[in-house]
Amino acid sequence: MKVTYNWLKDFVEIKIPAEALANKLTMAGLEVVSLEERNGDFIFEIEITSNRPDWLSVIGVAREVAAITSSKVKTQSSKVKVKGQKLKKASENLKIETEDKKDCPLYTAKIVRGVKVGPSPNWLKDRLELIGCRSVNNIVDITNYVLFETGEPLHAFDLDKLAIGEIIIRRAKKDEKITTIDAQQRALNEDILVIADREKSVAVAGVMGGKDTEVSYNTKNILLEAAIFNPIIIRRERQKLGLQTDSSYRFERGIDAETVLAASKRAAQLIQELAGGELILEKASSIVKPKKKSIILKIDSVSKILGIKIPQVKIKKILIDLGFQVKLKTKNSLNVFVPSHRQDVNLEIDLIEEIARIFGYESIPTTLPQIKPQISLCTRKDDVSRIKKILFGLGLNEVITYSLVDRASLEGFSQAEPVAIQNPLSNDQEVLRTTLAASLGKCVAYNLNQKQDYISIFEIAKIFQAKDKSAPTEELFLGIALCGEKMMLLDKGLVREEMGLLHLKGMLDVVFSRLGIKDYNFKVEASGEISVLVHGEWSGRLTQLSKNILGRLEIKNRNVVVAEIDLEKIFSQTDLKKQFKPLAVFPGISRDISLVLKEEVSAQEILDLVKEKGLPLLKEAAVVDFYKGKQIPQGFKGLTVSCLYRLDERTLTEEEITPVHSSITSLLVEKLGAQIR
Amino acid sequence: MSHIDLDAIKAEIEKVGSSSELESLRIKYLGRKGLIAQMMSEIPALAQEERATFGQKANALKNQIASLLAEKENSLGKQPSSASKLNVDISMPGIAQELGREHPITQVIDEICEIFIRMGFSVVEGPEIESEFNNFTGLNIPLEHPSRDAFDTFYLKDYDKLLLRSHTSPVQIRAMKARKPPLAVVVPGRVYRPDATDASHLFMFHQIEGFMVGHDIKFSDLKGILETFAKAVFGKDIKMRFRPHFFPFTEPSAEVDISCSMCKGKGCPSCGRKGWLEILGSGMIHPNVFKHVGYDPKKYSGFAFGMGVERIAMLKYGIRDIRLFCENDLRFLKQF
Repeated sequence: MKVTYNWLKDFVEIKIPAEALANKLTMAGLEVVSLEERNGDFIFEIEITSNRPDWLSVIGVAREVAAITSSKVKTQSSKVKVKGQKLKKASENLKIETEDKKDCPLYTAKIVRGVKVGPSPNWLKDRLELIGCRSVNNIVDITNYVLFETGEPLHAFDLDKLAIGEIIIRRAKKDEKITTIDAQQRALNEDILVIADREKSVAVAGVMGGKDTEVSYNTKNILLEAAIFNPIIIRRERQKLGLQTDSSYRFERGIDAETVLAASKRAAQLIQELAGGELILEKASSIVKPKKKSIILKIDSVSKILGIKIPQVKIKKILIDLGFQVKLKTKNSLNVFVPSHRQDVNLEIDLIEEIARIFGYESIPTTLPQIKPQISLCTRKDDVSRIKKILFGLGLNEVITYSLVDRASLEGFSQAEPVAIQNPLSNDQEVLRTTLAASLGKCVAYNLNQKQDYISIFEIAKIFQAKDKSAPTEELFLGIALCGEKMMLLDKGLVREEMGLLHLKGMLDVVFSRLGIKDYNFKVEASGEISVLVHGEWSGRLTQLSKNILGRLEIKNRNVVVAEIDLEKIFSQTDLKKQFKPLAVFPGISRDISLVLKEEVSAQEILDLVKEKGLPLLKEAAVVDFYKGKQIPQGFKGLTVSCLYRLDERTLTEEEITPVHSSITSLLVEKLGAQIR
Repeated sequence: MSHIDLDAIKAEIEKVGSSSELESLRIKYLGRKGLIAQMMSEIPALAQEERATFGQKANALKNQIASLLAEKENSLGKQPSSASKLNVDISMPGIAQELGREHPITQVIDEICEIFIRMGFSVVEGPEIESEFNNFTGLNIPLEHPSRDAFDTFYLKDYDKLLLRSHTSPVQIRAMKARKPPLAVVVPGRVYRPDATDASHLFMFHQIEGFMVGHDIKFSDLKGILETFAKAVFGKDIKMRFRPHFFPFTEPSAEVDISCSMCKGKGCPSCGRKGWLEILGSGMIHPNVFKHVGYDPKKYSGFAFGMGVERIAMLKYGIRDIRLFCENDLRFLKQF
C-alpha cells in the first residue's frame, strides 16, 4: 500500500525526515519496501501484514506514526450538517433490505442531490496520482480518496439510474449477469453477494460497481454506499470472479463499524465541498452499537514472554499511544480497552506483541535458553545420511528432482496408480510420482544434452501411490541411474567402461555389505526386470530402460540402467553390530580352476557346486576371471574360479587338498559339461 | 702406508651413485681381501716397535672408511629406490576413483541441522502429504482468510482434506502431540506451493523448521539461538535485525534480516538497496497452537522459526537462479 508524507501530515505531526520515518516504520512491522521522492512529497510503499486491515489507510498509518514518534494524532471532525430530519417531510424515502444479516452486517446510504460532476481539483488529482490511483471525476475521486484515507471502501451510484426507493443486499440469482465498471460482463451465481434495486443487480458487493449505474458527467443525484460485508463472502467472490480491487482487499481483511460511519461522513462532506449538492437523506440497515472489548494484561506476562522487564509506566504509555485505554486492575495487572479498529487484538499475547513492537525488538536482549540435554535416538535422517555417504564413495552424485510429474512420463516405468493433484498449475504437476526412475531418466537425458558422457546419479526421495482409497502411500526410495562410459586414463592408456546392470549390482553389494545385510539376492523376472530380494522379500529392482522409454527421453545410442530400492525395507534389515573374528593363524592354500562352459551356465550354479563339494576344507570360492573371444568357441565362455582351502587348527598339506580339488573339478565336468583348460 | 691417500678414497666413495657400487667399494676396502685386511696381514712382517703404531693407524683408517661408507649409504637411501625410477611424468592426470557429490541443498540442510544439533536440538521429519488440519487449522491459520494466501497449496484429488504440505510447520503439530515438553526440534524437508517457476520460485522447495518449548522459553532466547545460528552459517561479522511481522502461528512474530554481504549494509542491487537480506521468519508459538496440541499455554512457552533452504544456499554460494537446484546439471552439482 502507498501513502505519502504530506498526506500523513494531515493527521499527525511528523518531526523526522521521510527516510528516518521509513526506517522506524519498518522496524515497527510496517515494512517500507520503497521510498520515492516526487513533486515535493515522499511516497512510502508499505507491505501491510494481513492481520492489520487498519493499516490499509492513511489514518491507520498516521496512528502508528504517532505511537512510534511520540506524537499526537490530529482529529478531523466533519463539518457537514446532516439534513436528514428535514427530509422526513419530503416525499423521498429509502428502504434498505438485507436478505441475510450475516452477509452484510451493516449497510449505510446517503443521498446527495444536485451535485455537479466534473474534474477534481488539482490537489485531489495529484494526491491520488502519487499513490497510483487514476483520477476519474470529482465524485469517484472522493470515494477513492476517502477509501485510502480511512480504509473504508465507498461506492457512489447515479441515483437516477436506480429503480426508486429500495436497495436490496442479496445473493445473486443463478445465471444472473452484470456488466461491471471495467466493462466486463460477469456471470454471477448464488455464492456472490450483490447490491440490487427492485429490478436488477447494480453492483458486486464489496468488489466492483455496475456499469449502468456508475457516476458520469451527467449525474445529478447520487447514492453513497458505505457498508460492511462478510469477509469470507468477499474472499469467495473475488476468487470466483478473479477480480481483486482496493475495495475487496479491504473488505476481505475486515472493516469496523466506526470507520464506516466516519468515512461516510467524510465523503459526504467532501462531495458537498467539491461538487456542491446537498445531503438530504441518510439511512442505515442497523444501529451501530460500539462493542467494548477489554483484556487483562498481567505485567509479569510481559517479561515472561519477552525476557526483559519493561516498567509498568512504559507499558501503559505504549498502549495509550497506540489508542488503547488502560486502567489499573490490580497492582500487577492492567485492564486494557481495545479500540474498535483493532480487530486483531483479542488475547493478552496480542498486547504483549504490541508492547514488544513499540518497545523495539532491538531493545530486547539476547539470551540462550537452558536446554536440558535430549538424548536423540538415531533418526531416519541419520539412516539416510549413512547410505548417502556410501553412495558418494561409489562416485554417485546426488540429484533433487520434482515429486510432481506429468502422468505420461510414468508410462513404462510403473503401473501403480498415481495420486492426482486437484489444482496443478500445469501438466508437469499433474500427479505425484510413483517411481523415481522416470525423473532420473529425465535427469540423465538433460545431462547427455549438456555433453556429459558419464552420468552416475542417485536420489533419495518419497514416492506416492494411490493403493488405498482412504490414504495414499508415501514411501522413501533410493534411485540410482547410470549411463555412458566411465573413462579412466591409466598407465596402460585410456580405458573405457560402459555402465551396465553389473555396475548397479556391484554398487548395491557395497551398500548392503556396509549395512550388514547378508541375505539378499538378485532374481531375474519374466519381464526382464531384476528383483532385489532381501530376506526373500521384494525390496527393489534393477532395470535397463527400454527402447521406447529411451526414445521418449530422446536418448540415442546409449543405455541407461536404473535401480530402485525401498529404503524402509533396507533400514529394517540393517544390522550395524560388528563382531571381531580372530585372524586366521594358519595359512590357506589357493587353487584356481579355469573352465570353458556353455554361456547359459550361471556363475551361481558353478559356485553352488564348488561349495557343495569343497566343504569343510574350502573356505571361500569366487569368480576371478571371465573371458570370451577367439580362443573360446561360439556359445561358450571362459571362467576362472578361485578356491581357498584353510583349516583354523593347523596348516593344510597339499596331499589333503588335491583330492578335494580334483573332485570339485570332476563334478563341474560331470554336472555342467565344463572343459578344464 | 704412505701410499694410502684417504682423500682419494673419500672422493671415490663420494662419486658412487648406487648401493651396488657402494657395496663393491666396501669389499675393496673392508672386505676379507680388502685393503685393511691386506694391511693387517703385513703386521707380522714389521719390526716389533713399529707393529703397534701401524696397527693403530690401520684401525683408524678402517674406522674412517667405515664411517664414510655409512654416511654415503645413508644419503643414498634418501633417494628414490631404483624400482621407482621409472619414467613418471607427474604432470599427467592422476589416477583415482572420483567421489560423488552431495547436492548443495543437502549440504546446506546438513550444515544447518548440525548447528542446531550442537545446541541440543533433535531432528524430526514428517510426511509430505498432510492433513488440512496440521497444515492450517492446527497452526491457527483460518481456512478462509487472507493470511492463507501466503500458503497457496496443492490439494490431492479424490482424497478429502489431504494436501501437499506448504511448509514444514505441520511437523510442529505432530511432534508436540507425540511428546511432552521440554522440546527442541529441527525439521528439514520438502514443501510444495503452486507458484509459477521463475528465477526465484519453485513449486517444490526445502524448508527447515525449528522450535523449542519449555517452562521458561522467552523471545530473548529466540534472539540468542538465531544469532548463534546466523553467525555460524554466514560468519561472525554479520549484523542481524529482528523486525516485527505477522504469522498466524506465532505471536509476537519477527522476520530476521542479516546485513548484505555484498555491500556490507550500504545497499546494492542484490539486497534491493535495503542493505538487509531477509533469511527467516520466527516468533513465540501462539497460545492457540498450544491448545490444539494439548499443551497448557499458561504452563509452557516456546519459539518457532522457519527458513527456505534454497534461499540460504543462494545467499551462501552467490547463486542467482533458484531453478539450478532442480536442473541437476552435473557441471553445477560438481561445484559444491
